[in-house]
Formats: sequence, structure tokens, C-alpha cells
Amino acid sequence: MHFGTEPQGLILNSLVDIALSLVIGFIVAIPLFFESGIFVNAPGVASGSSTEVSDIKVNIHLLNEGGILLNEEPVSYEKLEELLPQLLARSLERRVIVSTDSLVTYERVIQILDLAKQKGAGELALLRSRR
Amino acid sequence: MKRMENVDILPMAAVALMVVLMMMIIAPMTMTHTNTPVDVPRAHTAEAKTEENFTITYTKDQRLYINDQPVSPESFEKIVQEAIEKDPYQLIVLRADKEVLHKDVLEILAKVKRAGAKRIACATKKPKGE
Repeated sequence: MHFGTEPQGLILNSLVDIALSLVIGFIVAIPLFFESGIFVNAPGVASGSSTEVSDIKVNIHLLNEGGILLNEEPVSYEKLEELLPQLLARSLERRVIVSTDSLVTYERVIQILDLAKQKGAGELALLRSRR
Repeated sequence: MKRMENVDILPMAAVALMVVLMMMIIAPMTMTHTNTPVDVPRAHTAEAKTEENFTITYTKDQRLYINDQPVSPESFEKIVQEAIEKDPYQLIVLRADKEVLHKDVLEILAKVKRAGAKRIACATKKPKGE
């Protein structure tokens, strides 16, 4: 039997194209589905005062009612975004210590840890109690 | 003798691509333990990438799982200690629901730290639209 031009090659070409597009699609989409993480140094118990007087401290405390204290001073989230890079730039260890009141949700803490990392924090530490 | 002309490698390429695709999906699933459904918080930072780890899951209804196996709070510390004794530098991933209280998460982290863990990471997801 004699066939004319065989279309098989063309069909496979499009199959490869589709497969390639799928691979690219997955490469782009996979980071959204799979979890990543933030390294933490956790948890210690806060001491009353720090002995590291030579370094700039970055202590963030989250209050139950939504407020934020940065080195004991109340700040808004926007202000914290602005101040964090300035403080971290002058800090040798670039360590951010986060403590919370008892009713603060985990999501809020991660939001602050994420912000600190984005603004250049080197090490993140979680404290069990503020004082 | 019959000559090997026009060897069509396209089917092989297609199959190879499919295999790559399957490997990409399956490999991270086998290394991590994320079958227990938990709504982890979203974060832009992604430091701890996929690697073989010891996963602790803390659900919204305050249940604890280790590598997707439910554990009681009493046996939790012992299991963690045994795992860390084998390899203190093993990555410990804490998958906690975003709505749980941070103080509960800290209690878990304190136990893990007491057991001697050196590398602890909090699991997060990339924000939508990134």
C-alpha cells in the first residue's frame, strides 16, 4: 500500500511543543504550590536586659490588640517597614528578636519575620516572653 | 543491508519530557511531608527550600503530626529527641496553621530546641500572584 506524505512527524512535533509548555508551566507554578520556609532561632526566654550594649538592638514586640513595639516604642506597620532597614544597616549582628503577647496569631509573627528578612535581617530569634 | 535513515527521535523526546515532568512533581513530594492539610502563612521570603526534612505539623484544631503521622503531646518530645539524636543538623520544619496562637507554636519550638535541634524553619507559602 502506498501512502502519500506522512503527517506523523508533524503530530509529534506539536506533542513535544505541548509537553515543553507543560514543563515550563510547572516550573513557574511549582513554587506556588510547594512550601518553603524561614529559618528561625527559637525560642529563648527573654532576659530583662541585653548585655550586648555595643550593638544596635532590634526588638519587636507584637501586642494582642494589633499594635507593634519597636525597641519599646509603639510604631505602625508602615513605620516599621521604614525603620527596620535603617536599624539593621547599623547593627553588626543584624539580629531581629520577636516577642509577642499571649493572644497573637502565628500568621502575624510570620508576617513580621518575613518583613524583617526582606529588610535585611540576618538572624531571626523568637522569644517566649518579653520580660 | 537496511540503512537506518530518518530515525525519529521525537517520540523519545516526548517521553523523556514527560518523565522529567513527573520527576519534578514527585521528587519534592517524597522528600517532604506535607500531606496533612494545614493553611500555612504566606511569606515572600523563601530560605528553606525543598530538602529531606523532619516535619512537625500543628493543625488549627491543635493536633500534632510528625511526618504526617498523628502523635500525642506526651510522646512528641521523645520522638523528636530520637530523631535529633540521629542527626542534630537535620532540618526541622514546623508547619503550623496561620490561625493558631503563636504561644502554642513557641511551646512546640521550645520542645524541639530542648531536644537539640540545630536547624529549624517555619513553613510558609509564596503569596498569591507572585
